[in-house]
Amino acid sequence: MNAYEPHVDVMRSHLGRVRGLGVGHSGAEHWWGERASSVVLLPLSTWFVVQMFRLGGASRADVIKWGGKPINATLLIALIITTFYHARLGLQVIVDDYVHGHAYLPMRLLIKLGTFLLGLLGVISVVKLVIAHDSTK
Amino acid sequence: MQDVRKALYVGSRSDGTLVQRPMSPHLQIYRRRLSMILSISNRITGVIATGGAALGIFWLNAAAKGEKSYTTASKVARNPLSRLVLFGWIVSVVYHTVGGIRHLIWDSGHRFDKEEVNKDGEVAVRVTVGVSVVLTALLCLVGRRRAKKRG
Amino acid sequence: MVELRLPHNSTIGVGKTVLAPEGAKNVRTFRIYRWSPDDDRNPVMDSYEVDVDVIGPMVLDAIIHIKNEIDSTLTFRRSCREGICGSCAMNIDGENTLACLKPIKSIEGDIKIYPLPHMPVVKDLVTNLDGAYAQLRSIQPWMKADTAPPPDKERLQSQKERSKLDGLWECILCFCCTTSCPSYWWNGDRYLGPSVLLAAYRWIADSRDEHTGERLDGLEDTFKLYACRTIMNCTQTCPKGLNPAKAIGHIKELQLARKL
Repeated sequence: MNAYEPHVDVMRSHLGRVRGLGVGHSGAEHWWGERASSVVLLPLSTWFVVQMFRLGGASRADVIKWGGKPINATLLIALIITTFYHARLGLQVIVDDYVHGHAYLPMRLLIKLGTFLLGLLGVISVVKLVIAHDSTK
Repeated sequence: MQDVRKALYVGSRSDGTLVQRPMSPHLQIYRRRLSMILSISNRITGVIATGGAALGIFWLNAAAKGEKSYTTASKVARNPLSRLVLFGWIVSVVYHTVGGIRHLIWDSGHRFDKEEVNKDGEVAVRVTVGVSVVLTALLCLVGRRRAKKRG
Repeated sequence: MVELRLPHNSTIGVGKTVLAPEGAKNVRTFRIYRWSPDDDRNPVMDSYEVDVDVIGPMVLDAIIHIKNEIDSTLTFRRSCREGICGSCAMNIDGENTLACLKPIKSIEGDIKIYPLPHMPVVKDLVTNLDGAYAQLRSIQPWMKADTAPPPDKERLQSQKERSKLDGLWECILCFCCTTSCPSYWWNGDRYLGPSVLLAAYRWIADSRDEHTGERLDGLEDTFKLYACRTIMNCTQTCPKGLNPAKAIGHIKELQLARKL
């Protein structure tokens, strides 16, 4: 293994290094999104916990009957979207902290894509439950 | 280290030759206060909550897909390992919610004093344990009653 | 990927031990981080047994005694010895504080002394603070007002306005808080850290300053300000009892208030 030979590469002034590329003029939206989504999630997740008691161990017919009701479908879709929006913001912050260099951008894109697809799958599943409910009527 | 701080790690010996400076220890020696543990746990439980939510979506997908998929999903969910995972997920979500409320209180400008932070931290742990125990107990009860009905 | 472990050249070994002299009554062991650029080895922990009955009550008294009587190569920064200059900031018993204000009696067992965390070590307990000083300079910590000051007196400020600066002006720039912050450890090249953000808020909150908008503009960045994750190590460790986390919270509130 090559021994690292210390050498002076950077002669830019400290102030220049710290100023860097300047400010990105963003951050408040992300920060607010995290807070707003967490506030919305408080009542939504409480509602979901109650519903979990109803759905645990239930038959598929019961699930369709429950999911087909517009109010349940609406709240469930709202929960799914808010959850994965909140998760995306949270995971992004983790990547910001721990991932540097070349892996940074791909990881950010992966998180956006992953949470989006999961959320979409959830929404489409709920819609399918609603359709299944209507077809049993 | 690929950041600009790398340059600060080049120093020189008494004879003028360059030398690589060491980095002073951090995680290795820093005192692990409750506030620090609670903070990183909020992050960890957030990741676990996301993982569990993903599994929940797969369950929902199974329900939407058809009777056969749903029966398989239900069987998997009844597995003792799955119940352990569910329990872990519930505790994570409860903890993350309690921690989240603590963050919201800070963001609204309150409870920032050192004494208040430490007191609230202990309350947060107790509330998490309490709510998790109650929820799990209720779930077990409901699950058992339903299993009896199924026969 | 962030390096949670120390680089190879930074892992700490065991150094020498110096026992207490004969007849020492109240012996405490001080384990101190040592490294010199002239060493051709990794840093080590040296142990010094000291009779604390013959020295002053603070940790700084102990390390000055060690330097005077036992090992004159021990290197550290110090000046006022009364908690106002900020020179002797170091990690004692696991937390960042001023050595001149930390009573030896308040520590149980061996007194472990390290330099401020995650910083380049110049020698022993002295770290390079150039980056932190540059970050302070970058937020322009001086009065910026276009209105000319009154010719015959100071810029006026009510008592209520002045009270907003309490808890901010007292900062002695010791950087205990900044080097206690895990977010600064991982991203200190882009995140300004609690001390500099407290200084920035000191000028944002000053009613006599007229460039508040520009100051807030200069902080509106994903890393410069928003890398603060409200971990709270800063407030826990400040040896002057200040609250950088609260000041940062105020800045975030103001950033939001401008946008909504």
